[in-house]
This record gives sequence, C-alpha cells and structure tokens, in this order.
Amino acid sequence: MSATYYFAIVGTNDSPLYEAEFGVQRDESKYLNQFVVHAALDLVDDAQFMSNACYLKTVDRYNDWNVSAYVAPSNTRLMLLHEAKADEAIRLFFTDCHELYLKTLLNPFYESNSPIQSQTFDAKVNTLAKKHLL
Amino acid sequence: MIHALFIINRSGGLIYHKNFSQHIVQLSSNEALIFAGTFHGIHALASKISPAPKRDTPRDTGIQTIDTKNFRMHCFQTPTGIKFIAVTDLMQTQLTGALGKMYMLYCDYALKNPFYNLEMPIRSEMFDTKLLQLVQAH
Amino acid sequence: MEKQYKTIGEDAWKNNVEKVNAELFIFTYGSLVVQLVKDYEDYAAVNKQLDKMGYNIGVRLVDDIMARTSLERCSGFTATAEVISKVGFKLFLNVAPSVASWSADGKEFSLIVDDNPLNDFCELPPKAVQDGLWYSNVLCGVIRGALEMMQMQTEVEFVRDVLRGDDTSEIRVRLLRMLDEEVPASDD
Repeated sequence: MSATYYFAIVGTNDSPLYEAEFGVQRDESKYLNQFVVHAALDLVDDAQFMSNACYLKTVDRYNDWNVSAYVAPSNTRLMLLHEAKADEAIRLFFTDCHELYLKTLLNPFYESNSPIQSQTFDAKVNTLAKKHLL
Repeated sequence: MIHALFIINRSGGLIYHKNFSQHIVQLSSNEALIFAGTFHGIHALASKISPAPKRDTPRDTGIQTIDTKNFRMHCFQTPTGIKFIAVTDLMQTQLTGALGKMYMLYCDYALKNPFYNLEMPIRSEMFDTKLLQLVQAH
Repeated sequence: MEKQYKTIGEDAWKNNVEKVNAELFIFTYGSLVVQLVKDYEDYAAVNKQLDKMGYNIGVRLVDDIMARTSLERCSGFTATAEVISKVGFKLFLNVAPSVASWSADGKEFSLIVDDNPLNDFCELPPKAVQDGLWYSNVLCGVIRGALEMMQMQTEVEFVRDVLRGDDTSEIRVRLLRMLDEEVPASDD
C-alpha cells in the first residue's frame, strides 16, 4: 500500500504544536498539507458542536484527501490527512495519540501550547502510526 | 505526675520551659537558662566519664535520671542532641514513653513549621496545647 | 541487621506516616524546579538552590524519623547507609534504594535509586541535560542535612540520572568527618 498520512496537533490558538508524515513522502505536498489542515480548522469548529464525541471523523475533503479531526477537551485538535477511509483505525490512532499528548502535558518542563520537541514523543507517535495506520 | 518540662537544644540553650503544677516554684528566666546550660555541660561530661563500654555497645548517652528526696528528673536525649528534661514526683520511674511522645510533638509542631528556626525558642500555641493534653493524660 | 532496618522502615511506613497524593507531590516538585530554572536561568545555580532547600528539609526531617521509629545511634557508617535507604527513603518516598560501590576505606558509598518517584512524568529538555541539571538534586541536600544533624559532615551528589539518559540514578555519599558536639565549651 502506498498510503500517505500527514498528522498535526494544533494548539488552542491555532498554531501547530507538532507535525509528522507517515508512509510515502511526497515533497510537493508539504506546504499544501499545512494549508489543507489549516483550512479545515473552521470546519472542525462547526463540527464539534454537532457531536458529543471527541472524534469527529472526516470533516473536510480536498481532492483525494480526507481530513479527520479529534478535539481534545482542552480544545487542542489532532488532525490527520489521509487518502483511504478507515474510521475505526484512525479513531484508535487518535485516542492513543491523545493519551501520549496528555503525558507530555504532565511533564513540568513542557509549557502548554508550545511546540512539542521531545524525540521520545516523536518516536512514540511513529510507532502508533505503524500500529494503526500503515 | 509531671511538674515541669525543659527542652534544651544541641548547644545547651533553653528552647522551651513550662511548669505544669502548683507545687513547683517558677524559675526566673535567667535561672532557667543557667540550669539548661549547666545541665548540658554535666550531661556531656557524664557521658565522658562513663567507663569504657563493651565492644559493639553504643556509646553512653549521659545522664538519664537524677533522684532527690522529693523529686526525680528524667532526661531523654534524641540522637540529634536535643534534650527533653521532665521534673516528676518519685512515683514516676519510667518516663521514656511520654518523653518520646513529646519528641513527636516537637517534630510536628516546631520542626515542621517552616517559620520555626532550628535551635530557637519554641513559641507555638499548638505545641503548648498538645503538650498540656499529653501531660494531663499522663 | 539489614533485615531489621527493613522491618523498621516498613512498619513505620504502614503505621506511622501520613500519606499524600503522589501526583500532587510530584507536580509540586516539578513546578518548583521549573520555576527555579526560569528565575535563575542557570542550571548550576538551580542545582545549588535545590541542594539548599533539601538541606533545610533534611535537618528537620531527621528528627521525624527518630521520633517515629525506635532507631538507636548507628554503630558505623555502614549502618548509616542502610538506615538512609531502608528507613529514610522508605518513609518519605516509599522506595528503598540499594547501597552499592563502597570505597575501600568505607567512607563512601552509592545509593542506586531505581525508581525515583520525583522523576515520574518528567522529561528534561536537551538544554538542561547539556548544562548539567540534576532534577532531583533536592534529595542530595536532604541526605546531607540529615547526616549533619547526626554529627556527620558529608558531601552528597548525583553522579548518574535516568532523566539524563543514564541507565540508572546514582547518588554518591562521602563522609568527610565526624563532628563532635558533645564536648561542652570551656567556661572561660
């Protein structure tokens, strides 16, 4: 499978805290990814009031891309760009990532809403992606 | 019954003094200080003149009781060098238990108060109250 | 002997010690360290402050141990090491670090802290690792302060810390000299 994923965590002030790509890398889409995710944030804002769940499923579409979102209670948003539809796998991925993000918040040296630079975090997200997505 | 209590710090300064009965004369603060200093010195010397202890037994810790015709004085020294000295009647042969509890009160209400300076006189209402309860229950 | 200290420590932990929520304690310590880092902007200074705070805690806490347990004065530095581990750490952190790496003259040993509760949730930023922050340095101060009240002057420092990527955390304790305060000052 030549699936491509782009994952981003967006802080409460709409700034990116973390981004990662999994699967086949496509250089030309790097900025496009950010752009698409950013554009979808408005739709997340709308969609979150239609549902009680944190996981909002697919909120936007752009060409072949689907944008799925997960809104944490703190209004931090986990966003995933993907091609294939796989609601359940993505939900699990989001839930695990959310937990990982919470652990990061517990670190006294991490300031909330600041970019996540920890390499351990990065490695763990990649493992989760392999487990659920790839 | 316990007539009075003195607490002496590591360097022989009096940090607490209280009478609990009518039967004992209130020492002036100067007299109390002299008592504390003198006792501290004698206590230290007493542990020094103690005959050499057998091997593997801990060093002598100094005076534990002083008896007179009318009263008995009990001294309990903590490993950190604080002395609790109680003046009791002659009926009282063992006081280690009560003095140990006083040590706990000292920890809880003096030492654990971040505003209490080590080696300084204890001025804590809570300590007074709890100590009085302990003495009365005794 | 070692067994006996273990029992004393465990008994006291079960019956005689007030417990506090671990997360509350860990987060309080975490934010304290981070605030120090922000205020001093120098990791060496932070280490020093933590050690100072620890010292002030140690000189008070040691009496608490003595009042709550039936410990006698230790017969030697070997026994002291066991008491620190089996009673001291046990009572306040509910861990019992192992005592290891004695020096030939018996005046230096290491405490191997496998499971330091203060480390929970914490991940040091690379800058802190590089500039030598010892996150749990407060423990060194506590040990130093406590031993000083027992007439032992010591030097205590971290030499390894899992938070900095080492395989375990190790605190080195070195006895400098015995202070003898029993002798009263001369009268003149």
